[in-house]
Amino acid sequence: MECKARVIANVVLLQVDGRIDHTTAQAFESALAPHLAGCTGEDKKLLLDCGGLVYISSAGLRVLMIAGKQCRKQNGKMVVAALQPMIQEIFQISRFDKVFEVFPTVRAALENISPAAASAYEDP
Amino acid sequence: MPITSAPYRVSVTVKAQTDSIARCAEFVLAYATAAGLSRARLPEMELVIEEVLVNICRHAYSDAPGEVEIRCVRADSEHLFVEFIDSGKPFNILASPAPDLNVDVNERQVGGLGIPLICAMMDEISYCREGDRNILRFTARLPR
Repeated sequence: MECKARVIANVVLLQVDGRIDHTTAQAFESALAPHLAGCTGEDKKLLLDCGGLVYISSAGLRVLMIAGKQCRKQNGKMVVAALQPMIQEIFQISRFDKVFEVFPTVRAALENISPAAASAYEDP
Repeated sequence: MPITSAPYRVSVTVKAQTDSIARCAEFVLAYATAAGLSRARLPEMELVIEEVLVNICRHAYSDAPGEVEIRCVRADSEHLFVEFIDSGKPFNILASPAPDLNVDVNERQVGGLGIPLICAMMDEISYCREGDRNILRFTARLPR
C-alpha cells in the first residue's frame, strides 16, 4: 500500500495504490490521519484517488468508516474516485456508497467538490 | 468432467494466525486457478480467505492458539469447495450478527463488514460442528 498526497487549491488529492488488508490497514490509517485533520468546510477537502487500489478487506473498510465518521463530525468533505470493479463491488455490498460520494474519475470528483481545483488539475 | 490440472482434493494446515493468510491465499488461489475458477473471481476468493482466517483467530481461538486446515475440493465439474476446519470453540460465522448497512453514517457500526462481504462473494456457504471441529464450507461455481 502506498499513499501519495498533493494539494490542488483547497483539495488534498490522496492517491492510494496497492492493497489495504489486515497487514497494511494500520499504515493506511496513519497515512490518512494528517489529511483528515483540518478537513472541514470549504477550507480543505479530501479526495481519495483509488485508481491504483487493487484490494481492500474489512480491515481497510474499517479505517475508511472511521475517517468518514470523523469528517462528518467536523463538517468535512471526503470523497472517493476511480474505483476498480472489485472495489466498487465491495463498496456496494457494504453500502459504502452511502458513506462516501463516489465519482468515476478524479476530474469528475474535482468538478463536483471544487471548481478551483478542477481548473488547476491536469489530467495524467 | 473438463480437463483440468487440479487434483480432486488438496489441503494445507497452518497456524491460526494472521501471518498465515498470505500462504493460504497463495495455496487456494493456485488450486482455484487450476480448477478453472474465472480470473475475475480470484480476488473474491482471496477476500474470503482473509476474512475467514481473521474471524477464526479472533473467535474460535480467542482463548488458545490452534491450527486451521484449508481443504480445496473439486466437487464436480461445476463446483469448487473451499473448507476451513478448526478445532477451536464452536463458532458459526453465519450466525454472527450482521451490522445494519442501511442507516446513516453517524449510526453505522465501525467494523463487522467481513461477514456480509464473504456471504455476498460466494455462491453457497455452510457451517457444521463435527465433534470438536468447526467446518465452514464455501462453494464457488465454476464456469461451464
